[in-house]
Amino acid sequence: MTSTTLPQERTAEKVYQLSPEARIALRNRRIRRGCAYALAIAIAIWILMPMWLIATLAFSPGEDVLSYPRKFAPIPFSTDTMEFFLVDVQGTWEATVNSVIVAVMTLIMSTIIATPAGYAISRYVFRGRDAVRLGVLAVRAFPIVILAIPLATNFIRWGIHDTVYGVALMHTALALPTTILVISSVFASVPYEFEEAAKVFGASPLQAFFRVILPLVLPGIAAAAIFTFVMSWNEVFAASILTSSDARTLPAEILNGLTAGSSARFKFAGGFFMLVPSLIFIFLIRRYLFNMWGQITK
Amino acid sequence: MRRKKIQWAPYMLLLPSLIYLAVFFAWPMVRALQLSVTGGGAELLTLYEEPGEESEVVALVPIQTEAPIVEIGTVEEELASGRTRDQYWYKLETIDKDGNEVTGWAPFFLLSLDAGRRDSTQARVVAGDTTESALTTSHIERMINDAKFMESIRTTLLLIIVILPLQFILAIVMALLLQSQLRGSTIFLYIYAIPLGVSDLAAGLIWLSIFQQSGYLNTVLEGLGILDDPYIFIQRDNRFTWVLFAVVLAEVWRATSIVMVIIVSGLQAIPSSLVEAGEVFGANLWQRLRYIILPLLMPSIQVALILRTILAFQVFAVLIAIAGSRSVATVMARETFYWYDPVGYGNPNVAAAYSGLIMILSLGIALIYLRTITTQEEKSRRVKT
Repeated sequence: MTSTTLPQERTAEKVYQLSPEARIALRNRRIRRGCAYALAIAIAIWILMPMWLIATLAFSPGEDVLSYPRKFAPIPFSTDTMEFFLVDVQGTWEATVNSVIVAVMTLIMSTIIATPAGYAISRYVFRGRDAVRLGVLAVRAFPIVILAIPLATNFIRWGIHDTVYGVALMHTALALPTTILVISSVFASVPYEFEEAAKVFGASPLQAFFRVILPLVLPGIAAAAIFTFVMSWNEVFAASILTSSDARTLPAEILNGLTAGSSARFKFAGGFFMLVPSLIFIFLIRRYLFNMWGQITK
Repeated sequence: MRRKKIQWAPYMLLLPSLIYLAVFFAWPMVRALQLSVTGGGAELLTLYEEPGEESEVVALVPIQTEAPIVEIGTVEEELASGRTRDQYWYKLETIDKDGNEVTGWAPFFLLSLDAGRRDSTQARVVAGDTTESALTTSHIERMINDAKFMESIRTTLLLIIVILPLQFILAIVMALLLQSQLRGSTIFLYIYAIPLGVSDLAAGLIWLSIFQQSGYLNTVLEGLGILDDPYIFIQRDNRFTWVLFAVVLAEVWRATSIVMVIIVSGLQAIPSSLVEAGEVFGANLWQRLRYIILPLLMPSIQVALILRTILAFQVFAVLIAIAGSRSVATVMARETFYWYDPVGYGNPNVAAAYSGLIMILSLGIALIYLRTITTQEEKSRRVKT
């Protein structure tokens, strides 16, 4: 208590007449700050540099992609390599369309299924709530690679092998646990009193949900949906196993190209193209990242 | 608090998720284990009531059975060209796998006819169209005896041992930097988080552009005068160390973000008064980190460790992207993939055995983390009291 009631003048005086020790401390502080900046920038370069390099290759003309020594900037700038990848190489455009369809189907299904569950976990106290939470966490902790093999053998039997539906069903299973946890944390951040107030003023539970709660949680749910999209867009193991030709998603198509021995232009344009959604979507959801991943530690 | 009688609403709301996870998660998991230990029984021939595979199954007959032919029939078979052709079917009088006397029809291509003539009266069953679903360890044996088996486990574990410490050190540094209120920290946060959305396939291709013979690393090294000629870092059949080095860099580059995000949310939960108290009592940065921050971060680190280990077992596209599909270096997920792949070995049972092994190993390691980290915490608690 005494420390907070110190007279203001005395601290002000100290600022004017810095003792030599204080000056050294201040200098050390500045040096430390400078070092922190340098380190932060170095790490940022470590992350951005490889992306810049592959973007350089993707926007260089074909002969520059093969040439050595390499250029460090796309000069002359050219969209030939990207065009080659998306238009000239057979199958990549179809695969891109498949990827988008699968990702959109996955995000719709997982959001529709997960929203009620997330609401239940965050709003109700019920027997088995902790068990459900723990169960969802445990599902997240299972190696997902192993699901693809048995599902593939069954999808063949059900006639949905090598269809976008099959891949979307699998991706929904992968995304669902995370989506449930994220959505429950989003609901938890909206006070229950809002809902009660709406009911006091005569709204039915459904009205209270759709008119009051949903608008508040929509951005968070959208962030979760975007992350689901990125996960589905990136997923390669299950997508390769569950498809054989028609429904190949982009990662599966690129992986197949790698196995078949593809050209350097194909590889680097493909690598860059795979990267683009993550650049955009992580930017859109950057405020929700901790909301999403912080949840799993609690 | 709001519980008066049994509430059905939360259960109804949870139901779709639980059903979905049961069908597409729990059940395939069980199926994977089942696939890896069944289906290796003897080959059997199916006998049908009428010629043609649409009719009812009468019995299953072991191969190498000799049987008299009692009737000959034909089935119209549609060819790829659209024309039709007669396919010969034979009615056999024989003994099925359980020892019962049976008669039924089988197609010519699974039989060896006496003297090879269509009108012969004696046939031998030479091939089956189904296998007895018996418990077997043959898939697991096949997996273990495969030349790549030990190597894939060794490489997977080696990658985990090398990558994880690097990732955790880098992630803690990144998290502390983000928490130290630098100006522009939102920009740093965005940049540090970008790899969260990068797939291992894209990361592999990016690092391929660096480590390739005509890649950026050689360009830089030659430019600096360190090398005279471009060095071949990555090659199909050797340079194992360099392949692993590139994979390690790609994985550290790509997958450190997730650890960073988990650790930042852990850091945010640490009351700043505790760290300030340490500062007041003269603890330097390293001491504050070692005695205040890291012990309080343990739960987050534990979660990140488990998550990263499980994800590390699933990495394979980065290796294919960097080293090509025929590279010497292999990991368990890649072996699983090739055992399943129809272009590869095309054996789902062995692939299922691999995936079961991945599950056992990754969950086993997760349990070890849980045990060792909690016991350490308990130990330190006991010392304090």
